[in-house]
Amino acid sequence: MYWLAGGFVFRRVISPFHKLDPRVKLLISGEFFVLALAAFSIVEVAGVLAAIILTAAVAKSLRRIGRVFVFSAGFGIFIFVVNIIFGLGLVSAVLYSVRFLAIISSTSVFFVTTSPDELEQIMKWFRVPRDVVFAFVTAVRFIPVVMLDAFQIMDAQKSRGLEFEKGSIPRRLRNTIPLLIPLVVNSVIRSGELAEAMESRAYGSTPRPTSLYGLSMKWYDRLVTIVSLVLTAGALYIYYSVRFPF
Amino acid sequence: MTLIEFDRVTYVHQTTGGTALKDINLKVEKGETVAVVGENGAGKTTLVRHINGLLKPSQGSVRVDGVDTRETTTATLSRKAGIAFQNPDHQLFSDSVENEVRFAMKNFGFSDATVAERCDWALGYFGLEEYRKTSPLILSGGEKKRLTLACILAWDPSIVILDEPTVGQDANQKEKLSQIIKMLKDGGKTVILVSHDIEFLWPMQPRLVVMSGGRVAADGPMGEVMGNKELIEGARVTQPQLLRLYLALKAKPRTAFLEVQDAGRWLSGGAP
Repeated sequence: MYWLAGGFVFRRVISPFHKLDPRVKLLISGEFFVLALAAFSIVEVAGVLAAIILTAAVAKSLRRIGRVFVFSAGFGIFIFVVNIIFGLGLVSAVLYSVRFLAIISSTSVFFVTTSPDELEQIMKWFRVPRDVVFAFVTAVRFIPVVMLDAFQIMDAQKSRGLEFEKGSIPRRLRNTIPLLIPLVVNSVIRSGELAEAMESRAYGSTPRPTSLYGLSMKWYDRLVTIVSLVLTAGALYIYYSVRFPF
Repeated sequence: MTLIEFDRVTYVHQTTGGTALKDINLKVEKGETVAVVGENGAGKTTLVRHINGLLKPSQGSVRVDGVDTRETTTATLSRKAGIAFQNPDHQLFSDSVENEVRFAMKNFGFSDATVAERCDWALGYFGLEEYRKTSPLILSGGEKKRLTLACILAWDPSIVILDEPTVGQDANQKEKLSQIIKMLKDGGKTVILVSHDIEFLWPMQPRLVVMSGGRVAADGPMGEVMGNKELIEGARVTQPQLLRLYLALKAKPRTAFLEVQDAGRWLSGGAP
C-alpha cells in the first residue's frame, strides 16, 4: 500500500521538471487534466497519456507514475467492465478507462514533483487564508507519517493474532476497527501536540508574517508556460477539427 | 534446545531497497535471556520482527521452534512469540482495559473460562485491576506500557520480546519490569530485550547481542562483551557506569560490580 501511495508522495529529485516554478507545474498538470477530460477518442486520450509519461520521464519519476498506473488499474478495469455491461461498446469502455488513468496520473505528476513548501507558496499566491494553507500543507506533510503509523499498528495487531486478510467481508471490516481506532487516536494526539508546539513557537502572534522564500518566474518557466499553452491550444484544435476513427 | 535460529539471514527493505540485516547467524536456546543492543538503525527491531514473522528474510531462513517463519502466518507464530512494541499507542483500541487484555486470547481461540482466568491474573499482576472498566486510551504512559505487557503475558507465549521496554518508565516501573523479566526467566521463558538502556540490562547480566550496521558485531555474556571497550564504542554503545568505575580504578577485584553496593563494599575494603 505504501508502495502504491508513493505515486502521490513528493520525492526530491534533481530534474529539469522539478526545477520549474510550482505554478508552471500546476499549469501543466491542469492542462493534462483538461486534455484528458476533453478527449473524444482513444487516440486523443492515448496521446495525453503518452505526454504524461514523457513528462514523468523528464521529471525522472517514471517508476513513481508507474505506481499510479498500478494503483488505478483496478478502477480502470472496473470502469471498463461497467461500460461493457451497460452496452456502451468496447470503444467507449476503453476510452473511459484510459481517460481515468490519464486524469489520475496528471495529478500524480504535480504531487510527485512539488514539495509541501512549494504547495504552500502556491496556495498563498492564490490568496488562500493562512490557517487553511497551514492545515492543508501539514496534512500533506503528514501523509507518510500516518501511513507508517498504520503499518506499525497493523504489525502490532497481527502480533496479537489478528488476521486482516481472513474471514468473510463483514468480519474483515470488523477487523479494521483495531487498526482505525489507534490510527485516529494517534493522529488526534499528534495534531494536539503539533498545535501546542506551533503556539510555543509564536504561530499566530502576527497577522501578516514575513516569508523566507517567495515565488519567482525565471526565463525557462516563462518559456515552458508559453510552449505548454501553445501545445494545449493545438491539441484542443485537433480535438475539434479532426475526427479519429476510434 | 534451540528455540530460535537465524541462518544466514539478510533482509532488504522493499520500500527503500536498503539492507537492514546482513548475513545474520544467531541461535537462541530455550529459557535464555538475550539483550539486543546497538545504535539507532543498527537493525535491532528488524531482527526481532523476524521472530514472529512480521518480516520474512530476503535471504536465509528463520526457524522458531523448528518452524520456518516463511511457511506460516504471523498469527500462528505470535502464539509462541509475543512482542511488546515500543509505542503502546500503536495497539490499544478497546473500550476497556479488560477487553484489551482479552483481545489476543479471543483471536487465539482460548475458551471463555481461560480468557477470564488469564485476564484476572494479568490485571492483578500488573496492578491494573482498578482500571478494569476504564478506557485504555486515557491511561498514563507508564500504565499503557504495563497494559501492553499484560496483554502479551496473558496468553502465555514461550518467547517474550520486549522492544525498548524502559522508554518513558520511572525508576519504580523499571524495578517492577526487572522483577517481571526475572519472573519470566525463572518460569523458563525465553526473553528477548531490545534496549538502549544499558544500566537497566547490566544487573540482569543477559547474553548480549551487539548489532552494528545490520550485522552482529558481538555475541556473548554481557560482562565479557562490555569489557571490550573498543568493540562497544565502535557499535556506539556505552559501557555501564559500574563497569566504567571498575575500569577507571584500574584495580583487579575478582569480578565486575553488579550493584552499587558491591562497589561500595569493595571501596571500603571488602570483597566485591
